[in-house]
Amino acid sequence: MKRALFTIITVLIGVIVVAGSALWLYAIQKPSPAYAATVVGTANTPQGVVKHATMTLDIHPNSGPGVPNPPGVPTSEVDAGGWPFYSQTSLQFPAHTLVTITVHQYDGASTVWNPYFAGVHGTVGNTAVFNGKSASSINPANVAHTFTIHQFPQANQPYFFVSVPMLAVPNNAKNLANGFPAPQTITFSFMTGAPGKYMWNCEDPCGNSYQDFGGVMSQHGYMSGTVTVV
Amino acid sequence: MSETHVTPEVEEPEEPTNRPAPTRRMKEWFSRPYVRPIVIICAVITLAFIPFAWVVLYFMNGSGAPASPTMTEIEKTILVFTIVSGPLMAITLAVLLYSLLARGKGSWGRVHGEEPPMQDSPAIRTNSTAVIAWIAATSVLAAFLVVWGMIELATITKDSYGSIASVQGPNAPKPIDINVTGQQWVWTFQYPDQGNISADTLVVPINTPLYFNVTSVDVVHDFWIVELGVKIDANPGAVTNTGVTPTKLGTFNIRCAELCGLHHAYMETKIQVVTQDQFNNWVREMGGSRTA
Amino acid sequence: MSATLTAAAPPHVPQPKQHGKPGGFLRHTNIFTGLVTGIVLAALTYIIGSHWFVPWGTQNSTYNQVGFQALIMATFIAWVIGFMAGIGAFAGPIRWMLGHDLTHDDAEYMAGKHQGNWRYFKYTTDHKVVGIQYLVMTMVLFAVGGFLAMMIRTQLGVTWTSVFQPNFYNSIIGTHGIVMVIAMIIVVSGPLGNFIVPIMIGARDMAFPRLNALSFWLLFAAVPPLVANLFMGGIRDGWTVYQPLGAQAPIGMIGYQICIITFAFSTGIASVNLITTIVTMRARGMTWSRVPIFAIGILASSIMGLIWFPMFQFSQIFSMSDLALGTSFFLPTRGGSVWLYENIFWLLGHPEVYVIVVPASAALLELMVVYLRKPLFSYKLAIAGFAGVVGISSLVWVHHMYMTGFAPSVGYPFMLSTELISIPFGFIVLVMLGTIWRGKMWTRLPMLAVFALLFDKVVGGITGVYLSDVPVDQYMHGSMFVVAHFHYMLMGAGLFGAMGAIVYWFPKMTGRMFDEKIGQIGFWTAFLAFQVTFMSMFVAGLQGMPRRVMQFDSAFRVSNWISTIGAYCIVIGMLIFLYALVSSWRSGKVAPGNPWGSKSLEWQTSTPVPLDNFPVLPVVTEDLYNYGIPDPYIETEERLAQDDNEGVVV
Repeated sequence: MKRALFTIITVLIGVIVVAGSALWLYAIQKPSPAYAATVVGTANTPQGVVKHATMTLDIHPNSGPGVPNPPGVPTSEVDAGGWPFYSQTSLQFPAHTLVTITVHQYDGASTVWNPYFAGVHGTVGNTAVFNGKSASSINPANVAHTFTIHQFPQANQPYFFVSVPMLAVPNNAKNLANGFPAPQTITFSFMTGAPGKYMWNCEDPCGNSYQDFGGVMSQHGYMSGTVTVV
Repeated sequence: MSETHVTPEVEEPEEPTNRPAPTRRMKEWFSRPYVRPIVIICAVITLAFIPFAWVVLYFMNGSGAPASPTMTEIEKTILVFTIVSGPLMAITLAVLLYSLLARGKGSWGRVHGEEPPMQDSPAIRTNSTAVIAWIAATSVLAAFLVVWGMIELATITKDSYGSIASVQGPNAPKPIDINVTGQQWVWTFQYPDQGNISADTLVVPINTPLYFNVTSVDVVHDFWIVELGVKIDANPGAVTNTGVTPTKLGTFNIRCAELCGLHHAYMETKIQVVTQDQFNNWVREMGGSRTA
Repeated sequence: MSATLTAAAPPHVPQPKQHGKPGGFLRHTNIFTGLVTGIVLAALTYIIGSHWFVPWGTQNSTYNQVGFQALIMATFIAWVIGFMAGIGAFAGPIRWMLGHDLTHDDAEYMAGKHQGNWRYFKYTTDHKVVGIQYLVMTMVLFAVGGFLAMMIRTQLGVTWTSVFQPNFYNSIIGTHGIVMVIAMIIVVSGPLGNFIVPIMIGARDMAFPRLNALSFWLLFAAVPPLVANLFMGGIRDGWTVYQPLGAQAPIGMIGYQICIITFAFSTGIASVNLITTIVTMRARGMTWSRVPIFAIGILASSIMGLIWFPMFQFSQIFSMSDLALGTSFFLPTRGGSVWLYENIFWLLGHPEVYVIVVPASAALLELMVVYLRKPLFSYKLAIAGFAGVVGISSLVWVHHMYMTGFAPSVGYPFMLSTELISIPFGFIVLVMLGTIWRGKMWTRLPMLAVFALLFDKVVGGITGVYLSDVPVDQYMHGSMFVVAHFHYMLMGAGLFGAMGAIVYWFPKMTGRMFDEKIGQIGFWTAFLAFQVTFMSMFVAGLQGMPRRVMQFDSAFRVSNWISTIGAYCIVIGMLIFLYALVSSWRSGKVAPGNPWGSKSLEWQTSTPVPLDNFPVLPVVTEDLYNYGIPDPYIETEERLAQDDNEGVVV
């Protein structure tokens, strides 16, 4: 009888340790809160009149005054030189909507390994507006980051792929008072389909270690995140 | 002390000098009370492996497989291998179950309790018939599996590389060359013969051989077209090749099957097998041109 | 039954001079001095190194230029050297260099005489102490690996959310893999190879007692860097740490690499020790045809490990230098080769799985003879089986690389060698089935573990046949089917077999009887839950689920839910078994010298085993499987012969 009791206690201790650790690890991961696009009206598209939503994102090369590190990762993970990051990484778009995203990009260039990602894909007309000028691709040597939304393994949701290169700040740009140079502005629009969940990440080698895909590129919350179409 | 310590001979049971004819021995062996139940269990399990093989295939075909001759050959191999594995599992389970559960006449007996039973079992040190039969059977089985495997490998290699002109007939469709680039964490495809268009999904016409040149720009990935049975590593610094001829219309999955970093789980895209006309339209839409 | 020889008075050998008290420097060293020295030396290295060699500002980096990674590498190496110095491992070489020989009192002190339980925390050379140390270490490693497995299965049960970030998930699957692999490599050769094998062959200790202690404490030093990786960014790669992905990892990867490099030394030393002991220190009269099959299995796996472990070690040395010193062995952008890493890794990677399965199978072959009280069916075939497996295992490694594309035509010869290895593997199965055949079974847990091992081994073997075929591997490689296959072999056959073997030798090692009532409940709960978990994982693999993924298509959800629930039940069963183990160890029934009625030599000495194992070394006069009554069917055969040949007298 005593043995049975102690056996059950052993099992319970094990269960509590496992469950407690899982819950604690879940709690400290602290993904950034969802950032939703704001619906501003309607738009005319070849598919008819649809809702129109907008969103603004910033890409900073490192944190600075007024620009704190994104949440979710302890500062000990960050390179002393600072890591580039998107201002928001858990994005939310409404379904069946034309979404327009404006990105203010403050970082310098690093060449993409695959010229595919210097082109614009998945947007309306496969073009994006770079500082007011529309283009369907930019010079691969001028790419600072990309914004690439791609598949989440889920068969019964629509296929969704958007990739836009983020134009780099020229090498000789001077820093303004806030510590960052004048940003490049990139605007692009795409149609969302039925609700689903997707991942996005930067496809430009802006990290360090082998092929510059280590460091910031192998950590969630800086150059990668989730997209939820609701 | 004395160093000459003669080890006594181990007592072996005496071999009868005139052994009965093999058929008599076989009949005698079959008449032993424990042999028949074991043989029956063996037969039942071996036969049960036949429908079991189809259950295995059922799980594989949940999303549209098989969609190419390669996948059909793979499934045929799985079917055959499952069925021929039946006897091994059967004899193992039969002996284990009989030893554990049999009671009554002929059962081998079990002893429970805290003290050692000190009742010995028959001292069977070896049985040449059993050993030779087992070695022969497993060797034949292994040989069959090897030969079948090698023939199958040659067959799917031919299916895969059927797009090579030297093994083509005069009226065969022209193969489509596709450059597959794996990178962390997106697959991109390029069609050099269709005006160098590039895309993030594969669109291919049915019944046309495809020839993949696969590489990676960073770490090792694994290009896996699940329902078509295509798989080859995408290695940085090298180009590996494989091919397939899709024979079923539909949309199928391409997954990465080698851990490649943060978004390895999300490195998925689609392959759409469409009619030739739909393919031509798609090429035109993408800004390419159909080469003759 | 073995006779003993009364010894004549040994000739007088002048003793070396006794320097200081017996044991010398080792009187003052123990695990705590080791830990302190290791940590202090590591901290000193880090502080001095970061002050003078690496710019101060980069200290906070988990990732950085080469300089910081080299610093962490130096820190871990300093930990290993510091720990070994603090535990007293260098006392031997230094004593030798000073010209001081070990006296008999020194040797007895080092073997733990008169130190009570404190000897388990010191650099003790007695093989029995080292065996218990390995047992506890193995249990700790299984606890860590099992905990990580629970984390993995929890995530795979709730894939609509993410319990972990993908980078942490990748780290825990890799760490779970390597921790379990290390635990499985040592689970039989460590506790049982060290404690039991010398007694089983009638020796007083192993051939190299001080190397025995060294191999254990090297293992102990190797584990903290490995576990620390989870707190240093993780390894973010599978247990195979394929390059060049490993070159993108944070400094946690250096912890993994240092662990493997140290562990390879530990295993190599242990293998040398076991091989020399079994080959040269067998009791008089124990000719090769009378060696217990367990010793043969340990010998075979030690030979394999000794030859091939350096490959794993060098793959990690090269990877570490790629990461920390700027070389490019495996980095294609600078002239390295990805395929080179894969080949070097799998040259050990395949023999390693036999290093895991062969000792467990040999242990169960050894113990089933005792519970069935009949001789091993074709002892010679069992030896041929082990020899064949060990020999051919060196020739099959490319079957892990069929899909790499590095040489498409090598699929043919390696398919042949992989199928060939199934033949000697089948010999072991035949010997087990033949021994069970017509045996009156004593239904104790070690015997029933044989059933678990056999069933899981056959399932693993059949699914291995699928994977060995290149066309089928073209579908299955990199899917969960592979994961389920190797869990069946390594956990189903390896772990459940090892558990049975530990229960069998438990009375000899701990002096107490294992509580089978509770132990069996735990064992069978874990076994049944194991079937549920991994059969469902086969289904997930067949459906097309890749491995090492955190979230996946909803088509795989059901099979993963079933696996997760099964995994939770495995842990419940293991915890029950653990409770039985610990409570029996502390307060179980005191065990007699030979509770199983075995004829093997280790059961002929008393429990607890005296320091020098036997009062007088035994002499073996017959083989140790001489159980059994004459086969009653021989009479029938003789009668048949008489009927056939009337008038001829047999």
